Amino acid sequence: MKLDFFRKIGFGLGPDEIIPEKPIEWAQNQIAEPPALTWPGDIPSASKLLDQRAEFVYQDRKVLREQFKSDRKAYKDAKDQLRYKTGERYYQGLETAIRHHAAVHSEAPVFERLWLFWCNHFAISEKDMLDRWNTGAYHREVIRPHICGNFTDLVKQVTTSWTMIHHLDNSESIGPNSKWGKNRRERGEPATVNENHARELLELHTVSPAAGYTQKDVVALSYIMAGWENPHSKKRQECNPVKFNGKKHEPGNHVVLGQAFKQKGISSKSKLIDAIEFLCAHPETPKHICKKLVRHFVCDEPSDEMVAPLLTAWVQTKGDLPSVYRELIKVVYAQTGKNTKFLNPETWLLQCVRMSGADWPPSPEDMAYDFASKPPQKSRQPEWLMNDMGHNLITPSQPNGWPDTEAEWLSPELLIRRLAVADRLQYPLTPIYEGIVKKNFDNAEAVLDLLQKAKNIDFYSNPRRQAGVLFSSERMLKV
Amino acid sequence: MSLSRRHFISGCASLSLLGAPAFNARAAGLQKKNLVIIMLRGGMDGLTAIQPNDQKMAKARPDILVSGVKRLTSDFNIHPRLKSFMSCWQEGRASVVHATSIPYTMRSHFDGQNLMESGGHVPYATKTGWLGRGIEAAELGGLAISLPMPLILRGNQAPDNFYPTWMKLPSREELNLIQQSYTDGSPLAKVMEKVRARPLSMMQQIGDNDAHELAVVAAQELRRDEGPRVAVFDIGGFDTHAAQGGEDGEHGERLADFDKVLEVLKAGLGPSFDETLILTLTEFGRKVEQNGGYGTEHGYGTAILMAGGLLKQSQIYADWPGLDRSALFEGQDLLATTDARSVYCSAMSHCFDIDFATMKRKAFFDDELTDLSERLFKMS
Repeated sequence: MKLDFFRKIGFGLGPDEIIPEKPIEWAQNQIAEPPALTWPGDIPSASKLLDQRAEFVYQDRKVLREQFKSDRKAYKDAKDQLRYKTGERYYQGLETAIRHHAAVHSEAPVFERLWLFWCNHFAISEKDMLDRWNTGAYHREVIRPHICGNFTDLVKQVTTSWTMIHHLDNSESIGPNSKWGKNRRERGEPATVNENHARELLELHTVSPAAGYTQKDVVALSYIMAGWENPHSKKRQECNPVKFNGKKHEPGNHVVLGQAFKQKGISSKSKLIDAIEFLCAHPETPKHICKKLVRHFVCDEPSDEMVAPLLTAWVQTKGDLPSVYRELIKVVYAQTGKNTKFLNPETWLLQCVRMSGADWPPSPEDMAYDFASKPPQKSRQPEWLMNDMGHNLITPSQPNGWPDTEAEWLSPELLIRRLAVADRLQYPLTPIYEGIVKKNFDNAEAVLDLLQKAKNIDFYSNPRRQAGVLFSSERMLKV
Repeated sequence: MSLSRRHFISGCASLSLLGAPAFNARAAGLQKKNLVIIMLRGGMDGLTAIQPNDQKMAKARPDILVSGVKRLTSDFNIHPRLKSFMSCWQEGRASVVHATSIPYTMRSHFDGQNLMESGGHVPYATKTGWLGRGIEAAELGGLAISLPMPLILRGNQAPDNFYPTWMKLPSREELNLIQQSYTDGSPLAKVMEKVRARPLSMMQQIGDNDAHELAVVAAQELRRDEGPRVAVFDIGGFDTHAAQGGEDGEHGERLADFDKVLEVLKAGLGPSFDETLILTLTEFGRKVEQNGGYGTEHGYGTAILMAGGLLKQSQIYADWPGLDRSALFEGQDLLATTDARSVYCSAMSHCFDIDFATMKRKAFFDDELTDLSERLFKMS
């Protein structure tokens, strides 16, 4: 039995959890289908959140600016009221609380770890207020339901989602020879494709630069994607459900990585679906993704040998993700005790909470909001805490998401933040740390010894605080 | 967990400090020089900050023309809220590069800000920042980078960072104990060594999140001989589509935010201000004509504001294209005649003591940029 495994693949075992007798089966039983979220409060739907965003942007851009054009104070007040009404400063905290609650309380912690992995793989960076309404809902409704199916279907869902299209500007793409493109050029206006989405679909989401694509391939894929848009309307601005607009689509056949994608019949909509299927079937895609998975759970520089079982499962099943996860779990178990991984701040925090039973995240009662005034401080804590730890899953600064190696996470300031957080969590009053250690650590003697020494420091002589030392130790940061 | 204070980063301003051991400069017999970058997000309007003395302005902006401007030169006036900047000007320690921009004309904040920080050509294609690459070119080891690390500072080195926090930091005694659990010589142990070697000034709890308080911290760190050499500030809110206003309008308020940072830095740096260059960035300027909401839309050419003792003199450096419609970019924006990256590259070359050609190659892909060092900076 390897006890470190429960931290390497999940969030560790909590005070009330018993040590599973068959750890590999225990983990493999969690990945067949997405469990329901554990959050006991209301969870707003992505479409309701899109409505709120629509109200905000329409009112702000089209109503308030005109109404208060010469009265700065009144404009600011009216905009604040609009922020409250639409929950502009509220949802990021709520989404984080929902996510953290799942990690701490889920009966499928392995699934929850995988969910965090995919949210970061298909990252939405902080851009044009997506973090305020859309990114968290995208994690819940676009990523979460589709990570126990086929990878190709996941990519289709992500690529044609409102949030990713807005994030990577695909609505801005106009094929130069499309109907709209021609009209625009006749009027002397520019008509070009925006390459952002195509580039990231290749580079980040599927084949990676290892496939050796060129700028020509990026442009061709942009042509294929042109027309997939979030339609604009006066009353809702860009906040309308995704549609394929053939009038913006670049007609003709386009070649990506040597494969021609042809116009079929009257609709060009299926060209993107064909292209996604092609990219997902490209040999570089499973290599890229399987290695990234092993890197996330096992170590920064996984060997080919570690990745091979995942790759084989992927190829045999044509990208059935649970089949890949089953191999991943076996590899993680085999590597437990041999290779260690420096945990990213959010995973580490959630382990501290799950293992200790600390009071986090805030409850639905704490998160209650009247949508008529400033959101209560407590409701914003989840968002602020993750910002303070330098790892807010909803706001990475680039589409490549947060980094996943020790070199990028291990900095003095980020370490200090963890030490401070480990000291400050609201731990249960009954000291149970010896129990935590015995349940979650192999070769626990050194860790128990550290706890013993901590009792001699004033600050830590309060048993609750001993968790601070435990959670700041190397064995906890790296597993 | 009780988080009583507003978080820093979610506020209107943030700060990053870059440390580098001073021995690098000292060994070469050079004074430690500081470079402070202030990113003005949202599209700072160069025509509001530094207004050309041109009647076309009144025609284009009848409702939002800034009154009470002060004269800088026969051709340009300054916004009245830029008070500290004005006093630096009077001391010969403020300059403006006008009609400038990064070579980006598509008017998206996100793409523009990405390029302003990366210094690249294609939005999101370059994953490092020009300042990070410049620091690497200068071989300034032992960097201290902020939380979170802004794109502009990303290089390829393991970061050593500092960012003020309200959190109570562990005591020395606690750090000693925790370190006992770290494998000797491991990266984790080395980082802990850096934490423990920090001066007490960097281990204190620091209060609020406004730019003013961050500037106090920055000045305190920058003036230390062994302290950081680079600081990056981030001030948002320049995207004034509405209520841009005149003297007391929204844009003026944001310029005042910048001016306050300048004031605090100058006071806090003391004599080190003589060895400092402060430089603003923004993603684009704003259209010449006002819009229907008494604001302005996204434009192109804008101004770079610079202050500090490293400047050659107070001057407006511009190849001024004028505001005639035929001279405007796409008939509506101030044309950018100076590539802002020439200014950035010259500033790094000067502050980090690396020749311009090397800096251009290592930080800006050997693009066609002009060495402006002799025009802008005090050559010793």
